[in-house]
Amino acid sequence: MKMINFCKLLVLLAAFFATPGFAESSKVLIVNSDNTVYRYETIATEFKKVLQQNAYQWTEFNLDRHANAEEELKRLIQQENPELIYSIGTKAYSLARIHAHNKKMLFSAVINWRRLDIDAGTYGVANELSSAQEISLLRYFFPTIKKIGLLYNDKFSREYVETIKKDALALGINIVTQSVNDAQEIGEALDQLLPKIDMFWIISDPIVLSGKDSVRQIFQAAEQQKKPVYAYSDVFIEHGAVLAISADIATIGRQSANLAMMMDKDKVPGGTVQVPAGSTITLNKCVLDALQLKFNQDALDSVNKIVGCAKND
Amino acid sequence: MKRILSVFFIFFVFITGGYWSAYSNVGSIIYFYNPETNINNFATLKTAFDTYLVNHGGYYFQPFDDRENFEAVIQEKKGDIYLLSSWHLKALQQKKVPLEIALVGTSKGNTMQRKVLSTKKDIANVSMLKNTVVAGAGSEEYIHSVLKQILGKGQEALLKDIKILIVPKDIDALMAVGFGMATAAISAESSLDKLAMFNPNQFRELHSLGFSEKDYLLIAATLKKPEPQEVELLEVLRKMSEADAGGENLKLLGIDGWRTLQ
Repeated sequence: MKMINFCKLLVLLAAFFATPGFAESSKVLIVNSDNTVYRYETIATEFKKVLQQNAYQWTEFNLDRHANAEEELKRLIQQENPELIYSIGTKAYSLARIHAHNKKMLFSAVINWRRLDIDAGTYGVANELSSAQEISLLRYFFPTIKKIGLLYNDKFSREYVETIKKDALALGINIVTQSVNDAQEIGEALDQLLPKIDMFWIISDPIVLSGKDSVRQIFQAAEQQKKPVYAYSDVFIEHGAVLAISADIATIGRQSANLAMMMDKDKVPGGTVQVPAGSTITLNKCVLDALQLKFNQDALDSVNKIVGCAKND
Repeated sequence: MKRILSVFFIFFVFITGGYWSAYSNVGSIIYFYNPETNINNFATLKTAFDTYLVNHGGYYFQPFDDRENFEAVIQEKKGDIYLLSSWHLKALQQKKVPLEIALVGTSKGNTMQRKVLSTKKDIANVSMLKNTVVAGAGSEEYIHSVLKQILGKGQEALLKDIKILIVPKDIDALMAVGFGMATAAISAESSLDKLAMFNPNQFRELHSLGFSEKDYLLIAATLKKPEPQEVELLEVLRKMSEADAGGENLKLLGIDGWRTLQ
């Protein structure tokens, strides 16, 4: 009988040590700003998939499901003592950072991460592609485009526009810019800019995109002058943008998971915040055909979505 | 009475013939699944192919993003056309699924491609890939198998220390190396040519650490000997590149035509 019990104990011990990650405490805490938001939910799902494949354990805390989220998160961090906290969204990062106390921190889905306070040992995956990625992909689709124009506000976007210019020049593209102080100047700025360029680029500038009227004005002027518009988001496709390139959400989750595992092994590659590695491309075939634009047909296998003309057109 | 019967007979033949003819075409579908790409443009593919195929014999196109579901359809069906990768076909043939190649996809005159492991030039050999991220487009299983093949028996042990980052497309994988999100990329050789075209600076920074064996680009397969209806559909598929709309659809799959294997 004693022998049988001893064997049982051995089996239990073997199972305990053989299960990958079982012996470890809950290593990763995922803090999600709002799991009902599709973007956040997708990122979390992909993150967990990769963690699971690699036998990592995690605990999840969704801020939207807790009335007193900050207190409960603080208690959970103390209780679970995770080695790494992965925050999805600005709210999650801001709260987790207060209570993290020297823990490894990772974030994604944060709008304008450069505004955040980032401590040593904190890493992230940015929300937006870099301008260099966008220009490369733009060039892939439209290899003959040489001059791209954009409007911007000096106060909000000067640095970003300088980066765009530098990145574009490296690929032989000339960026022609026109700064605007307020939305009232957009019409005149477009009149000056559009005749000089092959394509107009909508950047995420709060003055240029201050309202629906500004957006309408841009697309009307571009259409009148038969200039294609490229945008950083596919929301502009329905307005008439010919191409939109943005970060692939699912890849952000997978990329964050790889980064988390590298952080766990203290093998993080250089740089604290990575740009997203995957892109999503939407092509407006209706506008493309209407403008008779030359484009690289071999790039079609990289398009996620092709939008045709509405049937009532 | 005879007249009534003959009118009725002609009417019956007309109706049932039309019915069966229409019905038989509705039953013909091209099923598509490709683990060598992770691009999720299924709605676009479905719309583009359906529009073309409905006007060329009333056929339909059904893309899949899940291997199991695609394989379940193959197991259930007795006919139809299946578009799949060479790697996947071999895996199914090993499981005794009686799929046979009917057509192979072409791109710029080639029917075959090989995959390349590219890194920046400071990574001199594969042993330096330990504890790094390798980016690739396709299913995790597929990228893993390509990497295993490229590493070879001698370096196979490295696999457990390499993290695979699945990205939507080859050019994302290559740019991930250029922009520092991955140390290496698995991509088709032709994708490197594309990178050379749109970002020659990044292309110059890369070199190849190894190649996979050559495989067909994309395969159109049937279960055993095709029925007359499948032969018809294969002919529609083979001639797609002759029409502008058909050619554009093939580009969505990364090919520009089809060829019959001799």
